[in-house]
Amino acid sequence: MRPLRALALLSVASIGLCSCARQSAPSATTGVVPPAVRYQAHLAAGGTPPAGGTLTNPHAGDAAVAKQGALLFTTMNCDGCHGGDASGWVGPDLADGRWRYGGSDAEVFSTIYYGRPKGMPAFGGVLGTEGVWTLVTYIRSLPAPADVPTESWVGN
Amino acid sequence: MVRASLTAFLYGLAALGAGSVSRAAAADARTDAEWTMPSRDYGATRYSPLASISTQNARGLRPVWTFSTGVLGGHEGQPLVVGDTMYVVTPWPNVLYAFDLTRADYPLKWKYRPDVSANAIGVACCDSVNRGAFYLDGKIIYNLLDGHTVAVDAKTGRELWKTQIADLGSGETVTMAPLVVRDRVIVGASGGEFGIYGWLKGLDLATGQVMWTVHNLGPDADMGVRVDTFKPPYDSGANLGQRTWANDTWRRGGAPVWGSVSYDPELDLIYYGTGNAGPYNPEDRPGDNKWTSSVLARRPGDGLLVWAYQFTPHDSWDFDATGTMILADLTIGGHTVKALVHFDKNGFAYTLDRASGRLLVAQPFAPENWAKSVDLTTGRPAVDPAKQTGVSHGNVKGICPSLEGGVSPASPPAYSPRTHLFYTSTNNLCMDYLAAHANYLKGTPYMGVTSPYSGGPGGYLGSFIAWDAARGVKVWENKEPFPNWSGALVTGGDVVFYGTLDGWFVAADARSGKVLSKFKVGSGVVGNPISYRAPDGRQYVAVYAGIGGDWALLSGDMRSDDPTDIRAPADFLKDIARHTSQGGIVWIFGL
Repeated sequence: MRPLRALALLSVASIGLCSCARQSAPSATTGVVPPAVRYQAHLAAGGTPPAGGTLTNPHAGDAAVAKQGALLFTTMNCDGCHGGDASGWVGPDLADGRWRYGGSDAEVFSTIYYGRPKGMPAFGGVLGTEGVWTLVTYIRSLPAPADVPTESWVGN
Repeated sequence: MVRASLTAFLYGLAALGAGSVSRAAAADARTDAEWTMPSRDYGATRYSPLASISTQNARGLRPVWTFSTGVLGGHEGQPLVVGDTMYVVTPWPNVLYAFDLTRADYPLKWKYRPDVSANAIGVACCDSVNRGAFYLDGKIIYNLLDGHTVAVDAKTGRELWKTQIADLGSGETVTMAPLVVRDRVIVGASGGEFGIYGWLKGLDLATGQVMWTVHNLGPDADMGVRVDTFKPPYDSGANLGQRTWANDTWRRGGAPVWGSVSYDPELDLIYYGTGNAGPYNPEDRPGDNKWTSSVLARRPGDGLLVWAYQFTPHDSWDFDATGTMILADLTIGGHTVKALVHFDKNGFAYTLDRASGRLLVAQPFAPENWAKSVDLTTGRPAVDPAKQTGVSHGNVKGICPSLEGGVSPASPPAYSPRTHLFYTSTNNLCMDYLAAHANYLKGTPYMGVTSPYSGGPGGYLGSFIAWDAARGVKVWENKEPFPNWSGALVTGGDVVFYGTLDGWFVAADARSGKVLSKFKVGSGVVGNPISYRAPDGRQYVAVYAGIGGDWALLSGDMRSDDPTDIRAPADFLKDIARHTSQGGIVWIFGL
């Protein structure tokens, strides 16, 4: 585990843990328009969604970055709440294909960068944009089950 | 009315300056009918002298009243009964209900709804629980999960004061029940999984102002230690809470306070247990790591430490010692001893001399294999080297008990001065323990372990036992198919009450364990039964149903409240969701 952890710390350094701690906003946000948030919890009055900025994951689908994100998931203690395999503990399961705050890259980015109200800390301050995208890439790489099984004890 | 006047008279005496001990005694000697503090008395015995419900008639117990709290979190703790009012505190969002026991349907008198940060839900390690309130001087005092203590007017529900005691941003939450001694409200914080610097505080009862803060580890100056007055029975020297840690690892070493506090008015000492050392990889913090996993005896007035004893030196298994310290006078070897009895997560039951902290008896009450025995002359466990954990040990398999404990510290035992026996739930779980280096990042978990559980030896997962603490032997045991997580109540009618994780509320003969009656209460019981006499003159027993208190218990289909969070059942509890599900209900039983 020792070399593994050393590698994880190296990864954090390489994505600029310290240098981007003061960064104030995700660089991909355009102008004064906040990033689009269109997950289910947000209903649009009049059926008209507001204009939203775009956030694009620069590493979408990159398996090497996802692997780096898996190490970051441990280094940043995400596993302490979401479980070692992101299958849920205090925090929700991140691998069940269901999302409280939306499961698109941009929505997962917002969740990690700014935090969420039931105890999810904002990591944007310590990780910066690049670090958060690395985590997003890992989380989005987790295979969601085709279906979430319902318990049946019939015949047991 | 008679009761109310008597109460007023006692407080009148106290107000006239009857002296500190007699005021404490007055608080302890409220009528048999009531239950005014978390463990009923300062000795934390959970013994009610009421005897109308007896082994002869307990089979006739039936539910007489229920109330849905509307909250899903684990319902640990217990109601209070003061005069003709019952008080109920819920898990987060920590609503306080006051029910009028003089009217047939126990209507609500008032309800107090504090504004509690939802962030606390995710910072609390193990569910958004609350372990109860304390009544004194016309005030209901309890803690909010987000790190506040409040005092509420017991008559009107008006908030009298609210004090921030803990820092949520550093991983501190508050789940414990406060203890009030004279004019001091004693409180502590959870957070052993977040690298906190554990502490205890004494607040002023009248204003809520923090009068003293002492740490459970660290240098003497922080710990409230004066070398001339601190007499630990097995240790000596200055700065033990600092010297038994490598470098400055004590700064984030844990030692949370999330159980209860007890008090001996004659010795004027408060007793409480401290939680685990952090992080979970013991090799990151060489040394005994005092005073984690310990019992500490302090002066309530100024918090000064008088003695301390460490149950699990260099905690390598998450063995918190936050379980209740029960104070009882026992006959040991022909002598009456002012004893302190504690059932530890590590599977041993300890009997100590509560004046000195010296160990008298230490025997396993649940299956354990991490230590062969505890040496009564040195106070130290003989650890099995094969069960020592740490990164260099890899995945250490088959450690018993699991880190859930031989009993959860959230399941307080009871003691009957009639049977001279202690009663407690137990868990029969073992674990594998794969430690990893942890990285401290303020406000995030500081752990570093993978620790899957499995059932312990014997094919049962828990039990309810009677224990002779003078000899260190089990007297009887009722085995259960699931871990047993409720507190215990024993009464003057020699009836012992407990609940099971699959939702049965049980009345048993305190001398034999024979089950006298049981009733399915709708959700697993992790709360603590109480008994009281209502204004109608009858004895009742009240308990919360509402499974929770640990995320392991909520795996799988146990929860139905969040469509975005669906989990597989836990391997060791595969079909618990077949027998129960979440939801808080207050139950009252009577004849």
